[in-house]
Amino acid sequence: MTGYAIVLASGELERLQAVANIASVAAASDIPVDVFATMDGLEAFDAETVERRDFEAGPVAQAMLAAEDAEVPLFTESLGRAAEIGPMSLYACELSMDLLEKDLEDYVDLFDGVLGVSGFLNEAADKNVVFV
Amino acid sequence: MSEPLQPDVTVDSRGATCPGPLMDLIGKVKPADEGTVFELRTGDSSSKNDVPEWVEKAGHELLDVVEHEDGYWSIYVKKV
Repeated sequence: MTGYAIVLASGELERLQAVANIASVAAASDIPVDVFATMDGLEAFDAETVERRDFEAGPVAQAMLAAEDAEVPLFTESLGRAAEIGPMSLYACELSMDLLEKDLEDYVDLFDGVLGVSGFLNEAADKNVVFV
Repeated sequence: MSEPLQPDVTVDSRGATCPGPLMDLIGKVKPADEGTVFELRTGDSSSKNDVPEWVEKAGHELLDVVEHEDGYWSIYVKKV
């Protein structure tokens, strides 16, 4: 096993946060991680969505967003930091972008590139795949 | 009563939630020289439990975990 390939298909803030936390600690521990953001998971990275913090949020995520006495970094901050200190790459799904007629400039500036399914499978070939 | 440990580097992550304190510690440990002693201060109870797990996995040495009366812990780690 040479790391994790995480398919992030959910736009729920709890899942986004969990993926970011796990990917961050893994990458910081020198465990390679590829995150493939697709479907609603990709749309959570839309720059306007992130700026408005307009996420699908259950009780835990609502508490996180409302927390005043604790520093809870948003998933985008955690992933950005992880990429600076460890082997973590973030890819956007080409199909999702094509359907919405978007390009990478529409999303927060975190992505290492755009991949289709075949490209992702190549990246994931030697990794444990986790679907979220 | 034993003498308190004297860290070379103090990482104050009080106020940050999991995995913030661990990320702060890793960011300092990675570029440091072997033998460097760190004190990580955290008020996050899950980090208090999780950081020692990382220390063991990463092969460093957990020197001590000290609980303070004002609601935080000092986790002492030596880079191996």
